[in-house]
Amino acid sequence: MAQPVVELDRVGKTYYNGDVETPVLFDISFSIVPGEFVAIVGGSGSGKTTLLNLMGLLDRPTAGVIRVESQEVSQLDELSRAKARRDRLGFIFQFHYLLPEFTVLENALMPCRMRGREFEKSQEPRMRELLRAVGLEDKLKVRPPQLSGGQQQRAAVVRSLANEPAVVFADEPTGNLDSKSGRLVFDLMKRLSRESGTAFVMVTHDDNFALEADRVIRIRDGRLVGAPAGVPSGAIPSR
Amino acid sequence: MLSYFIRSVAFRHLRYSVSQSLLTIGVVAISVLLIIYLRTIIGGTQQRITQNTTGAIPHITVEPPERTPVGAWQLSSLGLDTDNLYVGEVVNLPKAREVIEDWRLWLPSLDAVDPEVATVSPIVTGQAFMNRGSRRQSVRVTGVIPERHNGIVEIEKNLDAGRFIGMVSGDVVLGQKLARDFGLKLRDKVRLVGPEGLTLNFSVAGIYTTGFGQVDDGQVFVTLRDGQSLLELGGSISSFGIKLTDLYDAENVARRMVPVFPFKVQSWVVQNPNLFRTLDAQGQTRDLILIMTTIASGFGIGSILVMVVTSKYREIGILKAMGATPGEIQSIFVLEGLLLAFIGCLVGVPLGVLLLKGLAAIRSVGPDGRVDAPFLIEIDPMLLLGASLVAMATGAVASWFPARKAGQVDPMQVIRGS
Repeated sequence: MAQPVVELDRVGKTYYNGDVETPVLFDISFSIVPGEFVAIVGGSGSGKTTLLNLMGLLDRPTAGVIRVESQEVSQLDELSRAKARRDRLGFIFQFHYLLPEFTVLENALMPCRMRGREFEKSQEPRMRELLRAVGLEDKLKVRPPQLSGGQQQRAAVVRSLANEPAVVFADEPTGNLDSKSGRLVFDLMKRLSRESGTAFVMVTHDDNFALEADRVIRIRDGRLVGAPAGVPSGAIPSR
Repeated sequence: MLSYFIRSVAFRHLRYSVSQSLLTIGVVAISVLLIIYLRTIIGGTQQRITQNTTGAIPHITVEPPERTPVGAWQLSSLGLDTDNLYVGEVVNLPKAREVIEDWRLWLPSLDAVDPEVATVSPIVTGQAFMNRGSRRQSVRVTGVIPERHNGIVEIEKNLDAGRFIGMVSGDVVLGQKLARDFGLKLRDKVRLVGPEGLTLNFSVAGIYTTGFGQVDDGQVFVTLRDGQSLLELGGSISSFGIKLTDLYDAENVARRMVPVFPFKVQSWVVQNPNLFRTLDAQGQTRDLILIMTTIASGFGIGSILVMVVTSKYREIGILKAMGATPGEIQSIFVLEGLLLAFIGCLVGVPLGVLLLKGLAAIRSVGPDGRVDAPFLIEIDPMLLLGASLVAMATGAVASWFPARKAGQVDPMQVIRGS
């Protein structure tokens, strides 16, 4: 059994606003292994984006423990979480959020640039190859506003792999695309996951995509579906 | 130091936000230009006014001590005999002439009193009548050692004819206007009548135009010895005049001299209190305008950077999600502020220098008919550097707040906000 890249152990999240407590997630436990493609599904307000933010170290849990590559990261300070995100995690968002002042190649290399010029240079051939693999070889020097939505999201997918992360978190990456472009981007993520051995965790509303994942984590009212209250919940295999 | 990532993002922001960048650079350039212009022009004007006022007078005057009247009731406290004090009729005592008798003994001490002392000139001065033919006019006779006194008022440099340094007994050197009024030219004879009626004959040895009214009109220079004779001062002098290397330090030097010398020591500042107050007020007004300009420029940079931060809100969020630290994001925007300020200086300083050079080249005819530059302009490299540093510091301070705001952007809010 491969060592999990991400482990959640009885993770909970409650937001506090003055005296008002808003519990969002309860007793979430599961783990993700390298190369696994996981879909998180659930209705609006079910807590799936919060769960993704916790795993992506954008937020801290109020209960339980999160480990990334066996390291406990739940209570790291902001600076350490930023560095962990930079070095070990990748992100894809619903909106591509490419930087309009930089070319497609520079955008794809941006996470490497944060780690220094030399590292960026060392990763450039690999990123060129990845951009070629997603059909953007003739757009390397083009700036994002000149690309279609699908092309921009493909560039964002490549960017998420820049630092060779242990896991990529994708928050509804196809949500803003037409069905054809959405399919292209989804297939691309699947392919890259398989080829690079990088785990992908994708939040999606689209059951068709979810059914094609290696595993589906279904969440309702802040709990994994099938797990009674108070009982640590596991993952539900999609097939 | 600033990482490659910080530098590249900051440079790229500026390059692709041309209109915002140009606007900020313009604001900084104008403020730098104003700082350079105001300081130079007002500084030059102040210098000119000060030079015009102090050019013909000593920076420090050393005179005989004033006699302080003592009340009858104070005599006993001074240890004086009051038993034989009689109060009788009021008599007018002959007014004693206040002079410095032992000036030769004091001269070396004055020469060495302070490193800032440039010249010490023993002076005798008094009123006399100048006669030539039927013309008669009251003049101020100043007896001097020309070699020394030329350090107080530059007569030699401003001679229209003849000489000042090297004048000998029997020579008189006077202003062009007085010479014209009396129809005098070099080597003409003229008669001076002292206050006690003593008459001496002089020969015109030099005619000058200094531009200082009080020197050019109604004053004549003779040798110290002739002055003493004409004014019947024996071997005494009326005062010492002292010129300093830094006229603005006159009050400090005078204060240091007071306990050392048994004389009345006064600086030009005390003798011209209104001028000093005017210059001071002018300086404060200038500083206030400069402070306002700097603040306005700071607000300009700050508000433009706030706009930049607001427009880049999503990108900042995604950079932070990808692992950029708050410090790195903050550094990007502080660097942008500094770069804009720096480029603003690169534009503003040459513009300021060009403007000043243009103004320095202007010539106009003064009321005395002389062609002169209306603006006294000296381009001070330290001022250019200082103005640039002020602009850079303003850029850093003004960009700090928007940069801090950028550093605090919560990536989750950006993601949710979409």
